[in-house]
Amino acid sequence: MEGTDCRISAGKKSETLNRNSLKNISYQDVNHQVIERCKGGDNRAQYELYKLYAKAMFNVSMRITNDYAEAEDVLQEAFVSAFKKLHSYKAEASFGSWLKRIVVNASINAIRKRRSELVPMDERVVGEVPDEEYNDDSEWQVENVRRAIQQLPDGYRVVLTLYLLEGFDHGEIAEILGITESTSKSQYSRARKKLLEIMKAPQFVA
Amino acid sequence: MKDKLKDFVNEHRDEFDVFEPRPELWQEICQDLPESRKEKEGKVIKISFGERASFSADFFFMRVAAAVVLLLGCGLTLYLMKQQVTKEPTPIAAIAPAVSTESIAPELAEVEAYYVSQIQEKKSQLSAYDRKVLGLDEQAEIDLELARLDNSYLQLKKQLYTNPNTSEIVDAMVQNLQIRIKVLNRQLEVLQQLEQMEQEPTNEPQKDDTTNV
Repeated sequence: MEGTDCRISAGKKSETLNRNSLKNISYQDVNHQVIERCKGGDNRAQYELYKLYAKAMFNVSMRITNDYAEAEDVLQEAFVSAFKKLHSYKAEASFGSWLKRIVVNASINAIRKRRSELVPMDERVVGEVPDEEYNDDSEWQVENVRRAIQQLPDGYRVVLTLYLLEGFDHGEIAEILGITESTSKSQYSRARKKLLEIMKAPQFVA
Repeated sequence: MKDKLKDFVNEHRDEFDVFEPRPELWQEICQDLPESRKEKEGKVIKISFGERASFSADFFFMRVAAAVVLLLGCGLTLYLMKQQVTKEPTPIAAIAPAVSTESIAPELAEVEAYYVSQIQEKKSQLSAYDRKVLGLDEQAEIDLELARLDNSYLQLKKQLYTNPNTSEIVDAMVQNLQIRIKVLNRQLEVLQQLEQMEQEPTNEPQKDDTTNV
């Protein structure tokens, strides 16, 4: 389970890095049979796919929506729609990244519903936010980074997690969010700066 | 552009997946899936009910195939029945398959052959008259009578297989054939009388006509 999750969340990333590409191929072939059975409406095959991807997809949704109940709704909606439109899945991309795209879109729709605006209209590219050197990266801990991300405002958090954790590049983020690539870039650097600030704050460490 | 944060996250990516959905969420997803096991079981029933609602392509094909088979079957039975019906009225054809009755009543075939030849002879004599005497009402009645006799003959023949009293039935069959010959004989007599009557009067009026003109 742990291994699959890793590969799933690596998703696109592992493809671009061409890392363990062999693993990727056999992994797709294994899924292929299950997916075919799912297309025929096989309930057990559907559960197999769910077991395989539920945790990773739930965390994707959780990071974007930042709300447990909402993330569950999104997960449910995403799996139902994925099973319904499974016939449109061509094995071009891995099933994991296809499903992830559905989850990401559903998550973003969910926050759009609750907040009218994700990314502030201010599209002016703020000249590169001065990249202060944080040489204390050795002190970073996963739990702290994760909690700090949760504290980011929606607009920042979505772009930052899509870029950092879900492995999308700025072009893809721009497409998903319906913004320009430069907005995505500037939004990311602002989010990143904000994140480091949060982590540096004394009350956060405590 | 170096992004140490990105590198850090890449290295620890799976550690970020800390949440788990409730285990019962799958049940809720299941309920939202219309084409799950339920449909698979339902498909078989659906065919017999003929519900048109939602069929996958392959099942639709099966339905079409079943319909075609059914239609072919119906067509074939109808065709065969029609063929039998058209054969029945001709007595020769009806009597011909007597071969199978040989084991039950061996003498029947001989008797049948004799009467059939008799009947055919009378019939050909009759048809010779038919051409001369047109518009005779009796002819239709006789045809009906013959058809009726033919029918009862067939029924008697069927009874041969089921009824143990073979000789009685054979007697009835012979009687049936004799009645036919009688009917045909009487008809022939009537026709012969008619012919004689016609020959006499036709001579007279012809004379009258010529004198009148």
